[in-house]
Amino acid sequence: MPAVQETVDQVRRIDIDQYKYGFETVIEVDKAPKGLSEDIIRFISAKKQEPEWMLEWRLDAYRRWLTMEEPNWARVEYPKIDFNDLYYYAAPKGTSGPTSIEDVDPELLRVYEKLGIPLREQEILAGVQTSKVAVDAVFDSVSVVTTFKKELQKAGVIFMSISEAIREHPDLIKQYLGTVVSTTDNFYATLNAAVFTDGSFVFVPKGVRCPMELSTYFRINEKNTGQFERTLIIAEEGAYVSYLEGCTAPQRDENQLHAAVVELVALDDAEIKYSTVQNWYPGDAQGKGGIYNFVTKRGDCRGARSKISWTQVETGSAITWKYPSCILRGDDSRGEFYSIAVSNGHQQIDSGTKMIHLGKNTSSRIISKGISAGKSQNTYRGQVSIHRKAENARNFTNCDSLLIGDKCGAHTVPYIDVKNASAQIEHEATTSKISDDQKFYAMQRGIPEEEAIALIVNGFVKDVIQQLPMEFAVEAQKLIGISLEGSVG
Amino acid sequence: MNMQTTSRLTVAETALIEAFAQQIGELPGDGAVIGTRDRLLDDLKKSGLPTRRIESWHYTDLKTLLKSIPDATAVAAIDPIAPLVEGATILSVLQGSADTRTTVEGVDLASFKERLADGSAVSGLTARGSDDAIGRINGSFVRDGFALTLPADLQLEEPIELQTLHAGGQIHTRFPVSFGARSRATIIERHQTVTGEAAFVSSISDIVVEESAEATWIILQQQGAADTHLGQIRVQLGTGAKLRLFVVNAGGKLVRQELRIEVAGEGAELMLRGVNLLGGDSHTDVTLVLGHNVPHTNSTETIRNVVFDRASGVFQGMIRVAPDAQKTDAKMACNTLLMSDDGDFSVKPELEIFADDVICGHGATVADIDRNHLFYLMARGVPENKARAMLVNAFVAEIVEELEDEKLVEALENVISIWLETHA
Repeated sequence: MPAVQETVDQVRRIDIDQYKYGFETVIEVDKAPKGLSEDIIRFISAKKQEPEWMLEWRLDAYRRWLTMEEPNWARVEYPKIDFNDLYYYAAPKGTSGPTSIEDVDPELLRVYEKLGIPLREQEILAGVQTSKVAVDAVFDSVSVVTTFKKELQKAGVIFMSISEAIREHPDLIKQYLGTVVSTTDNFYATLNAAVFTDGSFVFVPKGVRCPMELSTYFRINEKNTGQFERTLIIAEEGAYVSYLEGCTAPQRDENQLHAAVVELVALDDAEIKYSTVQNWYPGDAQGKGGIYNFVTKRGDCRGARSKISWTQVETGSAITWKYPSCILRGDDSRGEFYSIAVSNGHQQIDSGTKMIHLGKNTSSRIISKGISAGKSQNTYRGQVSIHRKAENARNFTNCDSLLIGDKCGAHTVPYIDVKNASAQIEHEATTSKISDDQKFYAMQRGIPEEEAIALIVNGFVKDVIQQLPMEFAVEAQKLIGISLEGSVG
Repeated sequence: MNMQTTSRLTVAETALIEAFAQQIGELPGDGAVIGTRDRLLDDLKKSGLPTRRIESWHYTDLKTLLKSIPDATAVAAIDPIAPLVEGATILSVLQGSADTRTTVEGVDLASFKERLADGSAVSGLTARGSDDAIGRINGSFVRDGFALTLPADLQLEEPIELQTLHAGGQIHTRFPVSFGARSRATIIERHQTVTGEAAFVSSISDIVVEESAEATWIILQQQGAADTHLGQIRVQLGTGAKLRLFVVNAGGKLVRQELRIEVAGEGAELMLRGVNLLGGDSHTDVTLVLGHNVPHTNSTETIRNVVFDRASGVFQGMIRVAPDAQKTDAKMACNTLLMSDDGDFSVKPELEIFADDVICGHGATVADIDRNHLFYLMARGVPENKARAMLVNAFVAEIVEELEDEKLVEALENVISIWLETHA
């Protein structure tokens, strides 16, 4: 069957040894001195031409961070990170902020071309017939360009880098920044609050359905640089927005740190759909190098009947520590989490979600598919919490793990806390390997073993792939088969 | 593991340390046993009682929940009560002391006190890991219990009942029991109060099921509404061994029951069934750590909980499959009926899997009684409260029926019915 052959080829292409986004771009950069101190934070804030209150906000967070301890409860192991041995700011020279496409260094444009990210608006129009996608491209510490800004503006949608938003829409920033993930939330989120350098800002006003998909593309390029981006998305009453982020980094022997914060706010009847395709460099086959990905993502269903949905395809990073969550505060609000986490080589993933039910008639749905291969460890860690006053809360959780090979591990750690008798909670989890029956069925119809496995894996993750915006589903499907080759036998 | 810094001791911690100082002179044991006791208490002193920062105690912050320890006063003599099922041989531990006058034909039997005195119990006293607070407390204070050895091929028709009765105070017992190869027997471990006086009870059962033996172990915990019960069951399953473990909790104010089970022989089978009846302002925590350590083993676990009043319940169930334990088949389910808005229940079913050719799964539900079921009965003229009682009863009785022993099923159903009548 041609489709199967195609899948296998796709899978081969993204084998861990064939990480195709591993190239490095030699580009002149503007860097802050190495290390972390109040001076560095002042440097970043000054570079961003931030108002005084923003600097204070950062310094507060930094002072708090100094008193905090790195969390150690996740099932991930890594050598101690020296937070003073990193560059906290690196920007391509000549980019003081997002500009029009004409001003962007052609070298940078070539990077994004190579990554397959369309930045020239006319190209996007020519290339994709179905719908348009606006892109905010973040390179190391800064946003280099945001496309379709004008068109979005006509609809009333604000889509820009967060640095720009701090200058141009300080009231909105003051009103919402840090209200979902506070500056004291956790070790990495607090660090992010102190040193975040860029990220995206989206504001969809009352009653507006965002006319196109929005997306941010994160690229870590510089050596020894941490990337700390901060994204804030606000959907006012009745608004709708679908947003996608993608990530890649060059292949390097040393580990790099990425600690992002994403905050979503949905008011009455609003809906936010947030999708991630995370493909940071996972390290080589021996476990050398790769990104440490410590991310705090949280959505606040603040309004009645609001809805937030997280979809993630996690294939990269040496270490992933990430729990996109929903606070279901508004009555009748709904939270969803769809996840595919594929680990191979020496990757360690500890990821899942939290659904905090506070309002009445709130519902949540969790579908998590973990695939472990090679020598990787893949953990689902999730919490469903029904508070005392959350009448008629409803949750359905399904987490399945698939093991390929006998050197890897798959773990499930769900926490379910129920304090209201009217709640209906269902949780199910399974772990298995691809059954011989399934394989036999495919193989006796003439499909070779590896293709059969790719086919079965694709079936295993189908529920989640379906949740992705169409444009990205194909890309994600390519990624999920990661490095099955060699682990099959 | 998280390090704990204990600056100030709580009332209960202080009471434990003082009790040890008072009792050390009279606690049974040879030099090695006393040395072990000292070390265990020292560890307890250093780390304090576990808090929620220790992951395995996440839902039961013993340091906060254990408010005080009743005095270890000697109490008037207690008489044994009727056995749970007719025909059972009663081995009673009254107010913490084993009554050694009874014998069971074919079974090698000794009081645990003797084992402490001659030092042969010393290796079992050590704690199992840094989070083993129950092991530390029991190891420091244990006074008596029974050590049973069932020789190979012994088939016991009638059950043995380990009847632990108390009338308040401090009770620390231990029951090392080994089922010899191909033996078959049923043991009922019963913890009950005979007064309303508060008691602080710790009890550890060390169970070894050898090759092809078939064991049925029933725990019936019916302590008083002011009691603390810290129980631990350690199980080692050999090749082709079968264990049916039934745990019924129907009492106590603060209950923690740890089931630490190692499936260590190929072809071994475990069947675990639990019924937790929670009422009043009690806190009950059942924590299972189940290791499948060798290939070709299977287990099924079903836990049913009913929560009334302001009670809070916890079930933590971790299934760990070792790297070589291929062809493991493990299934766990935890279902809870939350009958009150003031009650709560927390579940943490965990899977930790290092082998690829396995079938493991867990399911957990928390819900109120199904309205359709209620409607079905009420439409047939059954009043609502009666209909509710029937449904709750059916929800837990279903589990008990799996015992497939008429006398035992009837006796446990009776215990459940009486509990539900007084609490629902």
